[in-house]
Amino acid sequence: MSHMLFARSRLLRRLGAGVLAAFLASAVLAADPPATPAGAAPPVVSPAQREKIEKAVGAGAQALAPAPAAAPAAAPAEAATDTRGLDQEIQGLKKDVVDLNRDLFVLEEELLFPANTQVAVFLSVDIGDFFALDSVQLKIDQKEVINYLYTPREVDALLKGGVQRLYVGNLKVGPHELVAFFNGKGPSDRAYKRGASLRFEKGVGAKYLELKIADRQRKLQPEFEIHDWE
Amino acid sequence: MRALLTLGLLALLAGGAADARRHDPEKLPLTHVRDLHYGDVLFYFFQNTEETDLTALTRLLAYDHWGRLSHSEDDALLLEGGLYLELGMHNRAGEIFQSVLTNDVPTGVRNKAWFYLAQVWYARGYMDRAEGALRKINGRMSPDLEAQRELLLANALMRQNRFDEAITVLSNWRGPDLWSAYARFNLGVALVRNKRLGDADPFLSAVGTMMAPSAETAALRDRANLALGFAYLQAGEPGRARAPLERVRLNGPYSSKALLGMGWADAALGDYQGALTPWMALRERNLLDSAVQESYLAVPYAFGKMNANAQAASYYESAVNSFDAENTRLDGAIAAIERGDMLEHVLSQERNAEDRFGWAWQLKTLPDAPESRYLYTLLAGNDFQEGLKNFRTLVAMGGTLERHADDMGAFEDMIETRERAYAERLPRADALLNSGAVQQLQQRKVALDNRLRAIEAQHEVAALGTAEEREQWGRIQRIETALAAAPDSPDNAELRTRLALVKGVLFFRLNDAYGARLWQEQRELKDLNLALQETQSRWIRVERARKNVPANNGEFAHRVVALQQRIDSLEGRLVAAEQKQRTYLAHVAVEELERQKERLATYQIQARFELGTMYDRAAREQAARPAAKPPVPVQKGAEDESGSEPPEAPQ
Repeated sequence: MSHMLFARSRLLRRLGAGVLAAFLASAVLAADPPATPAGAAPPVVSPAQREKIEKAVGAGAQALAPAPAAAPAAAPAEAATDTRGLDQEIQGLKKDVVDLNRDLFVLEEELLFPANTQVAVFLSVDIGDFFALDSVQLKIDQKEVINYLYTPREVDALLKGGVQRLYVGNLKVGPHELVAFFNGKGPSDRAYKRGASLRFEKGVGAKYLELKIADRQRKLQPEFEIHDWE
Repeated sequence: MRALLTLGLLALLAGGAADARRHDPEKLPLTHVRDLHYGDVLFYFFQNTEETDLTALTRLLAYDHWGRLSHSEDDALLLEGGLYLELGMHNRAGEIFQSVLTNDVPTGVRNKAWFYLAQVWYARGYMDRAEGALRKINGRMSPDLEAQRELLLANALMRQNRFDEAITVLSNWRGPDLWSAYARFNLGVALVRNKRLGDADPFLSAVGTMMAPSAETAALRDRANLALGFAYLQAGEPGRARAPLERVRLNGPYSSKALLGMGWADAALGDYQGALTPWMALRERNLLDSAVQESYLAVPYAFGKMNANAQAASYYESAVNSFDAENTRLDGAIAAIERGDMLEHVLSQERNAEDRFGWAWQLKTLPDAPESRYLYTLLAGNDFQEGLKNFRTLVAMGGTLERHADDMGAFEDMIETRERAYAERLPRADALLNSGAVQQLQQRKVALDNRLRAIEAQHEVAALGTAEEREQWGRIQRIETALAAAPDSPDNAELRTRLALVKGVLFFRLNDAYGARLWQEQRELKDLNLALQETQSRWIRVERARKNVPANNGEFAHRVVALQQRIDSLEGRLVAAEQKQRTYLAHVAVEELERQKERLATYQIQARFELGTMYDRAAREQAARPAAKPPVPVQKGAEDESGSEPPEAPQ
C-alpha cells in the first residue's frame, strides 16, 4: 500500500466541525415541541482529501466516499417540496371526504325525514346545579320513540351550552302529544324522575320542539318544560 | 386551540345575545342559542373528540345547506373555520378566517384564530403563511399569548434564514418566565447564526446556567450549553468551549455530543490525554449515536498523537470491525423498510387511539422493531411526525369511505321502499285527484254563499230557523194558501185569525233569533272558507307532489349514483395518496439510513487508511533499522535454522 502524507489532525477536526455545523443547523428553535437530539451530519471531507483516500484505498473506496457538502443541503429542500405537495393533496382529499359526509347526511335525512312530515325534539340544559341528567325517554302519541342514556361527556357538552337533537321522526298533520320523562339526580343527590307533556299541532312543514331543563333558584328545584318553536 | 376557540365563540355569542346569563366565574358563561340546529352542532363540538368534531362539521355544513342557521351565520362560519383547523384542514380554515375575521368580530377572537392558524401552519412547515397569519394579529393579546406569538414569529423568521429580523423581534421580547428561556435560547442561536458569537454568549450562558425543574427545561439548558460549546469550537476557541460543555448533563439526551465536544476541546489545546477521558466514556455507549461512532476514530487518533501506536492500531481495528457489524445491521433495517414493515410497526400501536383526523396527534411510543433504533431521530422529528399524521389520516379516511360505500346499499333500499310505497298510494291519490272533489266542494260553497246573501237581502227569517221551525213555517204557509182559496165564512175567518196569530208568534220567534243565526251562519261560512282554502292548498300540494314523485325518486336515485361515483373516485385517490405517503416516508427513512451507512463507510475508510499508514510506517521503520544485530550465540553442534530475530520491543 502506498503511503500518503495525510493531515490526520485536519481531517479529524473536520469530523468535529461536521457534527458542529449539523448541530447548529438543527439547534435553531426551542419553542417547538421538545426536539430530540439532532443527528450528526456526515463529516465534511474536501475533494482533495477524497481523491487521496481513493488513491490510497483503491477502487473499493469510491462507493464509500462521502458526497460533497452541497448535496445534503439539496435533499432537505426536495423533501420539503414533496411533503408540501403531499400535504396539499391530503388536504384536498380530506375536504372532499368532509363534503361527501355532508352530502350523505343530507341525502339520508331527506330520504328518511322529508321536511313536510319531519318532527325534531331537542334538549337543552340550563346551569345544572339542581339536576344531573342520566337519561331521557320520549313518547309521542303514547308510543315510545326513544330512550337515551347520556355519557358524562355528553352531559358536559349540554352544560356548556350545546343543544342535542334528541329525536327526529315523521308525523302526520294534525294534533299530537309529546310526553318526556327525565331521569337523573336531583338536589341532595337523590334519584329524581320528572315528566313533562305538550299537545301540539303538526302542520305542513318541519316541527321543532325543545325540552328545557332549567334551575329555578327560587324553588331550589329543577324545572322541565317543553317549548314549541313555531 | 379548542379551549380558547370555545371561550371565544361563547364570548362572541354572549356578546350578541340579549339575555346571556352570568354564573360562577369558574364556569363558562351560558349563552342563548338562537338556532336549535346550531346548538346541536355545539353539542358535538363541546364533546371534544375527533369523531364528534367530524360529526359537528358534517352537521354544520348540512344545516347550513338547509338554511337552518339563519340567526347564527357569522358564529357558524367562525366555528366552521375552527373545526376545519381542529381536523387538520388548515387551507380551508385559512380561507374561512380570511373572510370571517373582519372588524365586526371581536379583536380577541380574531387574534386568537390567527394565532392558532399560524401555529398549525408553522408545524406543517408553511413558514411564509405562519408569518402572514401572525402579522394579521391586531394589537396585543394576553401577556402569555403575546409572548408565544413573538416567539413563534421569531421561529418562523429563523426558519426562513432571516436572522436579523428574528434578532430584532427577540431583543424586544418581554414575557412570562415560562417562555423567557426559549426566547433567550433562540436569540442566542440567531446571534450565532449571524456570526455574533460574543453577543450570543450571555444569552446562551444564561439559559445554560438556569434552574431547570422539569425535564423540558433541563433539556433546554443542555441544548444551550451544547450550542455555545460547539460555537466556540467552530470559532477556534476551544478554551472557552470547555465550560459550557461541562455543564451538559451526563445522563441527558445531549451528553454524547457534549462528551465528543469536550474531547475535541482538549485535543485542540494539545491535551490528548485529557481528550481520552470523555472519548473513552463515549466509546462505551451505543454505536447508533453518530458521536459515539466518531469517538471510535477519535480515541485511536488521540493514542496516535501520544505515540501509543499499538493501542491506536488496536482501536482502529476494533472500529473497523464494529463499523462492519453495524453496517450489516443497517442493511437489514433498510431491507425491512423497503419491504413495507416500518409503517405497519409504527401505526400498529396507534390503532385504538381515538384521534384519527386531528393534527394534534403525535407518535408517542416507538415500535419494537429493528429499524426503530436507527430511526429514533427521524421518527421523533417534526417532518416525519407530520408525514405520519397524513398517513394515519389517509388510513382513517379509507375506513370512513368503506362505511359510506356500505351505506349506499341502504340508500338504494330506501329509495326502492319509497317507490313501492308511492306505487301503493298513487292509484288512490290519482283517483282522488281525478274526482274533482275540491271543485265540487267549492261550487257548493259558492251556492251556500249565494243562498245566505239572498236570505240576508230578503230577510228570510224562516230560512235560518231550526228544522222544526221551518217545518212549522211551511205548514203555516200551506194552510195560509189553502185558507186564501177557501170561501169566506165565519169559521174560515176564525181560522184565518188563528193562523195569523200562530204565524205572528212563529215569525216573532224566528225574527228574534234571526240576527244571531245570520251571524252564526256567516261565521260558519267563513270557517268553511278557511277550511276549503286549506283543503285547496293541500290539494295543490298533493297534485304537485304527485307530479314530482317520479322526479323526486329519480333525483334521489341520481344523487345516490353520483355519491357512489364520488366514493369510488375518492377511494382511488386515497389509495394513490396512501401509497405516495408510504413511499415518501419509506424513502425518507431509507435515505436517513443510507446517510448513516455513508458516514460509517467514511469512518471505515479513514480507520483503514490510518491503520495502513501505521503499518506502513512501522514496516519502514523496521526496514530502516541498522544491520547491527545482537550476536546470535553459537551453540556447539546446534544450528539455529530459523534465523529469526528477537521481537522488537513494542513502541
